[in-house]
Amino acid sequence: MNPETAAKPNPIEQFELVRLWEHEINGVEVSFTNASLYMLIAALGVVLLMIVATSSKALTPGRGQAAAEMLYEFVAGMVRQIAGEEGMRFFPFVFSLFAFVLIANLIGLFPYTFSVTSQIIVTFGFAVFVMAIVVAYGFYRNGFGFLKLFVPHGVPAPVLVVLIPIEIISFLSRPISLSVRLFANMLAGHITLAVFGGFVALLLGAGAWAALAPVPLLAITALYALELLVACLQAFVFSVLTCVYLNDAIHPGH
Amino acid sequence: MSDQEPDKEEVALQARLAKLNDALRARDARQAAQTPTGAAARGNSLGRAMSAGLNVFSEFVAAIVVGAFVGWQADAWLGTKPWLMVAFLGLGTAAGFWNIYRIAARKAPSYEEDETPPDGKA
Repeated sequence: MNPETAAKPNPIEQFELVRLWEHEINGVEVSFTNASLYMLIAALGVVLLMIVATSSKALTPGRGQAAAEMLYEFVAGMVRQIAGEEGMRFFPFVFSLFAFVLIANLIGLFPYTFSVTSQIIVTFGFAVFVMAIVVAYGFYRNGFGFLKLFVPHGVPAPVLVVLIPIEIISFLSRPISLSVRLFANMLAGHITLAVFGGFVALLLGAGAWAALAPVPLLAITALYALELLVACLQAFVFSVLTCVYLNDAIHPGH
Repeated sequence: MSDQEPDKEEVALQARLAKLNDALRARDARQAAQTPTGAAARGNSLGRAMSAGLNVFSEFVAAIVVGAFVGWQADAWLGTKPWLMVAFLGLGTAAGFWNIYRIAARKAPSYEEDETPPDGKA
């Protein structure tokens, strides 16, 4: 969405869902929207990067292969460092998550595109999926020992009465904070960009004030650099926290 | 004699591998030392500060929201209208502070201060 060219700048118009193909199954709407389209594009982007770029298997990697290998080693190192060698069984999951969020964030930076990760239901879906895996694997691996996660070490019994509910609420808040963090960062960034773009349009239409129009335009350039960083950083943070939570499932005793 | 030759080659190869390995390590260390400096540092710190702020915000608010929700549902379930919600709202706030305390206390493995640059990998 490029607000620069919009007649009347509306910074949140870019988040509007548009049904591209309307469909219903048993009264439940399953329309193919622009969000679905961009999710498909992001997934295709990951596949392109991973399969096509590495298909030559050159000993001296080309540009695409180097990017794919760096991404792979980066995520592998992160999973190993945070969740340990045993956490590597979740490497495919964490890698898919990281690559998808990263590509979706980066695609959203192009003008006129739709940013999938600025929809809270998408990030919340990811977060709930992560927590479901954590809980399921935690109980599968540790049995009821997983519940030790809620009992901090070396705390006297009277304090535990208060601390255990707090720990449980803190655990339950994880999917929300995980999803809100990614969503809020992307939403705030895209709104900021659109608002500054709206300034340019408004100044251009304000007679002599048009001389000032390049100022917000320069600000957009700087903000774009920041947004590029945020897009990468948030994908990274999302997957780091996924690893931290998976580590809790593997070693619940803190 | 035919035994000696491959041995020699093997030793030479090992030495060369070790040398290359050292060079790689040195390069990695150099890169790690260089990353926080440079022109990107300012935008970098602003981005990180924004991310850290939103991080604390989401952890804090999420815990309160969850506390309120649990209390509200428990009230509706047990018919103890306002009291469980009041109690769980308090617990949720405590959990929010507890979350923030943990972010602040998690010094070493913190992703905010991680040496690995999260950007530049895309």
